[in-house]
Amino acid sequence: MSDQPASPVPSAPQPVMSTPRRLDIEITARCNLRCRYCYFFDNPAVPYRDLDTATWLRFFDELGACQVMDVCISGGEPFLRPDLPELLAGIVRNRMRFNLVSNGALIDDAKAAAVAATRRCNYVQISVDGSCADTHDVCRGPGSFAGALRGIRTLQRHGIPVAARVTIHRHNVRDLPAVARLLLDELEVPAFSTNAASELGSFARHADQIAMTVADRELAMRSLVELKERYGGRITANAGPLADAEYWARMETARRQGAPAFSDGGRLSACGCVFEKIAVRADGAIVPCSMLAHLELGRIGRDRLAEVWRSAPELVRLRARQAIPLQRFAGCRDCAYAPYCTGNCPGLAYSLTGEIDRPSPDACLRLFLEAGGAIDGRAARISPGAEVAE
Amino acid sequence: MKLGDRPLANPDVVLREEYDDWAVLFDPETANAVGINPVGVFIWRLLDGRNSVEQIAARVADGFDEVPGSAPEEVRAFVERLAAGGFVGFAATGATP
Repeated sequence: MSDQPASPVPSAPQPVMSTPRRLDIEITARCNLRCRYCYFFDNPAVPYRDLDTATWLRFFDELGACQVMDVCISGGEPFLRPDLPELLAGIVRNRMRFNLVSNGALIDDAKAAAVAATRRCNYVQISVDGSCADTHDVCRGPGSFAGALRGIRTLQRHGIPVAARVTIHRHNVRDLPAVARLLLDELEVPAFSTNAASELGSFARHADQIAMTVADRELAMRSLVELKERYGGRITANAGPLADAEYWARMETARRQGAPAFSDGGRLSACGCVFEKIAVRADGAIVPCSMLAHLELGRIGRDRLAEVWRSAPELVRLRARQAIPLQRFAGCRDCAYAPYCTGNCPGLAYSLTGEIDRPSPDACLRLFLEAGGAIDGRAARISPGAEVAE
Repeated sequence: MKLGDRPLANPDVVLREEYDDWAVLFDPETANAVGINPVGVFIWRLLDGRNSVEQIAARVADGFDEVPGSAPEEVRAFVERLAAGGFVGFAATGATP
């Protein structure tokens, strides 16, 4: 055992809402692209088929009765559904707002006008992985960069808020400053979020071509920290290199100072999603989230959402994951970072280890350092709540 | 026709009850949301265009223990805050709710 501060034990379980506040809905299993790291496709547990309009509309009525506030409509590519305006009308009728996740290529004036007419769209998120076709299209396919930019400009013409998502991989890690210039300066997108191509779905088939090396990850972290300093809150991340850089800097600062354990540290507490949202696959299976798409909790049209939300054993177990101490795991027992570590994403933990109730090796600081990686103290300056490591 | 003193909940607004009797009022048209406590939920359910603010305050006094003397002013201020946020309107005088 290392000489490390004791981790706090949660005094009471986190309360659970009576119904989910938000839903992630994969409205279609069809897509016009086949991106090489797509988390959605190539999951052997998922039957890729679509539901009809009426089934979704009945489900939206149920969401309205559950007082759901927001739905995130993704796919596949949601703009492939010819009934999308009718589906959005069902969302509006049930007093919800929505956002759409798209590759942008199919968005024309008619589709953008239909979205704008709802007046309930928070934003449309468009994937942009490069500053030019060379870096964007390498994983997404020829013509996809032009389609993404065309989609963004069409949405902007119709006054629809646009967000961008940059997925970082081996081929675009050196392009990030140019990506930021394109999105934030030239296209004037208010903000973009970042993540990394991860060990989910189609990634496994192409890992040898797209996975980042330790040096790539270092470069991505350094580059994104510098860009965030320049652009402020216009670059965000919940996962991937920027999130790792910020959180790891906090952990390193705390370790050096011998700080008390973080209030959520030392436990598998990373995922709060299961306390406020749930997901539905294109075939109608209710699952905890898109990254745990194999874990069927129920099925729309057959099971009541509120009942699944409150009582599905797998979901109850996922919520209890927060109390599992890292000391249970051999790799964490003598880790000086354990009191500040939250175990990371359960979806990636499952994908990488075959178990949900384990820490994910993907965002493990200790493993990263043992592999020769280094972290940059500058990240602590832009990480809320952190003091600067000397 | 003029606006009266009988507040009426915006029918587009969703009352979303969370845990421990707290709730959120959510206006999907504007994305505005406000958290309210159990007394706020009680008041919200009386905003039907039939009850005046004074009648609502009286119902609060009947329905809760240890209600302070300032309750009528506090109820009015709460309703006015909701009205300023677009969560509440006022039924027109003489209109049939």
